[in-house]
Amino acid sequence: MNAIEVSHLRRVYRATIGVLRRSIKEVVAVEDISFEVGAGELFGLLGPNGAGKTTMVKMLATLLIPTSGAASVMGHDVVEDADAIRRCIGFIFGGERGLYWRLSGIDNLRYFGSLYHVDPDVAKQRIPYLLELVGLKDRGRERVEGYSRGMKQRLHVARTLLHDPEVLFLDEPTIGLDPVGAREFRQVIRNLQSEHKTILLTTHYMFEADALCQHVAVINHGRIIALDTPAGLKGHVRDLSVIELEVFGVPPAVVDRVRAQSYVESVAVENRDQKQTLLVQSPRGSEAVPDLMAALNGTRVGRVVVREPTLEDAYVRLVGGEV
Amino acid sequence: MSLRLIRESWRAMWAVAEMTLRQQVMDAFILFTVLVQPLIIAILALWMLRDKGSEFAIFIVVGSGMTGLWSSLLFISGNTINLERWFGTLETLVGVPTPLAVIVFGKNLANVFQSLTSMIVSYLLAALLFGYTLRIEQPVLFGVSLLLTVVSFISFGLIIAPIFVMNPSVQQWQNAMEFPVYILCGFLFPIALLPGWTTPLSVLLPPYWAARALHGTSSGGAKVEEILLSWAMMIVFSAIYFFIASQLFKKMVVKARADATLDME
Repeated sequence: MNAIEVSHLRRVYRATIGVLRRSIKEVVAVEDISFEVGAGELFGLLGPNGAGKTTMVKMLATLLIPTSGAASVMGHDVVEDADAIRRCIGFIFGGERGLYWRLSGIDNLRYFGSLYHVDPDVAKQRIPYLLELVGLKDRGRERVEGYSRGMKQRLHVARTLLHDPEVLFLDEPTIGLDPVGAREFRQVIRNLQSEHKTILLTTHYMFEADALCQHVAVINHGRIIALDTPAGLKGHVRDLSVIELEVFGVPPAVVDRVRAQSYVESVAVENRDQKQTLLVQSPRGSEAVPDLMAALNGTRVGRVVVREPTLEDAYVRLVGGEV
Repeated sequence: MSLRLIRESWRAMWAVAEMTLRQQVMDAFILFTVLVQPLIIAILALWMLRDKGSEFAIFIVVGSGMTGLWSSLLFISGNTINLERWFGTLETLVGVPTPLAVIVFGKNLANVFQSLTSMIVSYLLAALLFGYTLRIEQPVLFGVSLLLTVVSFISFGLIIAPIFVMNPSVQQWQNAMEFPVYILCGFLFPIALLPGWTTPLSVLLPPYWAARALHGTSSGGAKVEEILLSWAMMIVFSAIYFFIASQLFKKMVVKARADATLDME
């Protein structure tokens, strides 16, 4: 049995705009999405901001009702059997909200343990274990208002594991964590995977999806534009090489000029302090470098690297450079 | 409803009440609503009626406590769901297996217990500052009346919270609902002093029956059948309100999930 089944799901948000001449504006957040996640699988949802990832997760976590289509978690319908789903899922939405800041970390976990119907004797053993797991063992008695963003995020992780759920929805769980914290959290996810938990993970970090997920769906403008294994997705750019050009103060017109070259598939710009990195995808590989240098005429160019494409490059190609 | 579910909900309700008290104990607005404001009312009333004797003093002690109960119900219990939304915790609460109505019940329980402290403080104030000898004439009946008062106030709180969420226009009248209830329900003086046409309004308000039972049993003089009538009315109102609240909560959660209003972001 699949742990998660989604069939032609659609979600539209309605907002009233205007004061005197009021009208209703409709925004389609999720459009005709279908996928399945097997039991014990780690499934990734990738996509730019506003692509519909969080809306998708909230519908599966029974916090939003779909406009049309159907979805089930562990065989329970997200609209009709919401109560049954809530007993077997845990969820995290990126960010600091969702905790009681005036209570200590331990009190937050005790509180949510009761709400998740965790037996008090079990909770007594599980809370110290989880605090140790997320690295908050020594700070558990302090009020949450004194926690850093990363600590709050880690407390969310402990909260969501309190009742040992079978299915986990992790919506950008490593956002705001420092690199060490994010790496530790990825290890937590691997451990959960080894316990055969079904996990739906949304993330912006491609290496995270590449390292953790068995299947990945790329969403853009509310639609799935690719669904495959990470290796399969990389196949989308197997014919291309990536040329990384370190440039200083490159104007938008020059980027457009590079993008207009016939041998250039896509261009993404990453800003890093004073300099930028142009990520150029091209089937010509290193042969394209002299022509690119000519196109960048007048721009100071630093290091140039030609490499094999990664999952991120596949993603960039799929969403059309919207990073 | 299975026994297991009842046991789990019971445990969750007390956990919510305990954590709510822990959170609110340092909240200045809540301390003002449940302690300072009833104390101000008690001081004013005790000062004005200082020549009337102990019988009036106990009336004021009980009445000022009820003002604290009502204000806490209106402003704290009424805003419970909206506050959770502002804190960003409402989504998390809707996503747990414990029904939201049970969680709000626990929160209202904490608010009502907290407000009862205003009655104790008013009692001490009257005894120590004004030197009254205060005595509850029918302590057992007073205890039962207090218990039913707690239940009826919680049930009323369970109704107004979802109404305020679903109808923000009703919440705009929140401030205007505070003092008329003090007066119409006879918290600080008997409703016999009011014009006759207000009496039907009073009997439709559950706090009126709570005030009648508490005043009658603390000051003495109330007949047993009058007290029983007040208890019966509180039980009937509570049963009706619990039923309406259960329907309102279901409707509100479905509406919030459909309209995407569980979160402010």
